[in-house]
Amino acid sequence: MVKESPKKKAEGPEYIRIKFNAPRLYNWSTGKYLGKVYAEAKENKKLVGNRCPQCKEIWLPPTPVCPKCKVDMGWDWVELPQTGAVYQYTYLVYPLWDPHYGEKWANPYPSAIILLDNGVYYRHWLEEKDKEKLKAGTRVQAVWKEDYEERGQGVQDILYFRTLEE
Amino acid sequence: MQTVTEKLEGMDVWIYHGQINIPNTYSAGAVGSRFLIELRDKKRIMGTRCPACNRVYIPARSICKDCFGQLDEWVEVSSKGTVLTYAIDYEVKPIQPVEHPIIYGIIQLDGADTGFVHMLGEVDPEQLRVGMRVQAVFKKEREGNILDIKYFKPLA
Amino acid sequence: MPNRVAIIGIGQTYHTGRRDDVSQPEMVAEAVRAALTDAQLSIKDIEAVFFGNMETFEGIYLPDHGMTAEVGAFGKPGFKVNTGGTTGASVVAEGFYMVTAGLYDLVMVIGFEKQDCGDTTAAITAAAVPTWAKGAATGAIGEFAKQALSYLETSGAKEEHAAMVRLKADRNACRNPYAHLRLGLKSIDEVLQSPYLVWPLRLLDFCPQSCGACALILASEQRAKKITKKPVWIADLEVVHQEPFRAGIFGDPTGKETYTQHVACERLYKRNGITNPRKDIDMAEIYEPSNWEELNLYEHLHFCDKNEGWKLIEKGVTEIEGEFPVNPSGGVTATNPIGATPVIRVAEAALQIRGDAGEHQITKDINTAMATALGGPNWTVLFLLKRSM
Repeated sequence: MVKESPKKKAEGPEYIRIKFNAPRLYNWSTGKYLGKVYAEAKENKKLVGNRCPQCKEIWLPPTPVCPKCKVDMGWDWVELPQTGAVYQYTYLVYPLWDPHYGEKWANPYPSAIILLDNGVYYRHWLEEKDKEKLKAGTRVQAVWKEDYEERGQGVQDILYFRTLEE
Repeated sequence: MQTVTEKLEGMDVWIYHGQINIPNTYSAGAVGSRFLIELRDKKRIMGTRCPACNRVYIPARSICKDCFGQLDEWVEVSSKGTVLTYAIDYEVKPIQPVEHPIIYGIIQLDGADTGFVHMLGEVDPEQLRVGMRVQAVFKKEREGNILDIKYFKPLA
Repeated sequence: MPNRVAIIGIGQTYHTGRRDDVSQPEMVAEAVRAALTDAQLSIKDIEAVFFGNMETFEGIYLPDHGMTAEVGAFGKPGFKVNTGGTTGASVVAEGFYMVTAGLYDLVMVIGFEKQDCGDTTAAITAAAVPTWAKGAATGAIGEFAKQALSYLETSGAKEEHAAMVRLKADRNACRNPYAHLRLGLKSIDEVLQSPYLVWPLRLLDFCPQSCGACALILASEQRAKKITKKPVWIADLEVVHQEPFRAGIFGDPTGKETYTQHVACERLYKRNGITNPRKDIDMAEIYEPSNWEELNLYEHLHFCDKNEGWKLIEKGVTEIEGEFPVNPSGGVTATNPIGATPVIRVAEAALQIRGDAGEHQITKDINTAMATALGGPNWTVLFLLKRSM
């Protein structure tokens, strides 16, 4: 048996904790369905979803198989409206670790679920940061990155949704 | 780090070059800590012995895999041992903590009943062979980490 | 005829924010030994071991590789399960399936998480499709914040009602020596003054990151009756999956009409002749990541009608001394070692049936209890436990 030194014992045991923090890199493919969303956003500043041949529901993100009917969705694309109403929203108060950036970071834009005018729910950021002015039901419209070269980042080609002056 | 998305040439598919970067901690616990502290402070390689199975585990562990016994008998083993097997890694990977090529070895230390995974150094790859006698080389500045053993070098 | 399955051994570690004195496998071993002691069995008696945690939450891939000895699984059948937040429930279900199918007579199921090693919220954010997750680093907190807002705006509940749920959890946790947060909260104001994490969810509204493990030993009817005088029967269980993230939104964007809970309850209640859950079941241990979600779950699990969840807490129905106690252990807002959390729900419900819950034992007789779990993609697992079959 190995005896601990009396000094150590008086201080209480020492426990080793080893910190490690290495970025793990990956290359993630959208596949051709989500790829269509990326292409329409970059080329035409359009938001698209695909429609089930059976139940006619529109899915965003698009899907190869209807989650409800379990049938092949085919290639029936629908352009979605870029205006809607704020359904729910939250804003980050306490900065949390974002694994995609590798740092503690609080997105300054509130996160919202937006009910687009055709009934599809969509999640994005709101331009309005003043929490006094945030409320459910506010009419909003998508604001796109104008520079063609800057687009190509999928749904992040939409900067945020801006409050519509009624 | 900036993440980038690009269109794959000739296909309607986009590739997102991303990262997952989360800070993590390895918590060694009481037994693991004692093993690492002995390396750091006394350059001693410590194991635990299962009295029921008469087996010495290196590195020290708290539970015997065969009989589920709680292990609290500490024993020092030799810093010399025998190479059970080895492999040479030439491919540079970003998270490895030492320079390439890395020679991995599984070493049975004298007095231990288990293999100990570490690295081999100060050796020409041509000279490597199973059964080779080796000895631990400790770092000068030790910090309570398995890399306080720099590597194992051939016994002169 | 499938075999009946009983819980015959229950063991958990104490739960806390930091456990420097043990490695992850050693912490799990504590729960394993506690369960064996409870059942008065040796590890040699256990035929197969199933275990699970939220892989990568501690920054370790394949944690099962490093703990075969510590869970007593060396040389035995079994595997790790990971289904997100429901992991612990999936592990119990796995053990149940194995025994009811007659493959084994005696299995151990274990859930664990050592969250002082990682960053849970970051890991949850990393689990989402990058297209939708980048810049949305709120993990589960953001989702439950939206749910809280929906509930606040549409049900008639006030923030005070959520605070009452938090106070109940804390009062109960203070009676549970295994619970992580035992704060001794005194007033509604104390909860309402806690700082916001993701508006409108406050620090005290949400579950903590805990270190802990929980193990159960499950036995076939034949073996159970030989081993213990107090078996707790898993009378039935139900697992329902849901289409997970769509545009970063749960299947139901409001986070309120949770499809899986309705379907799971409908099936479980129908099979077991339950028409009025609050009468036909004696108590429940539910998986409530936030106090707001507990109100929501009262409704989804049909403990009351829609928009009436907050009335249950107002009337004290779900207190330990109430007509239908919910989470006498203190629940998830007091203790959340994620992979272990659903196993603890089953364990605590079983302890109530056995009458072994100690200071937080419900005074009325408990013959039938329910344990629930929910997960990231809004999966639902329900267990119905009984004293006699």
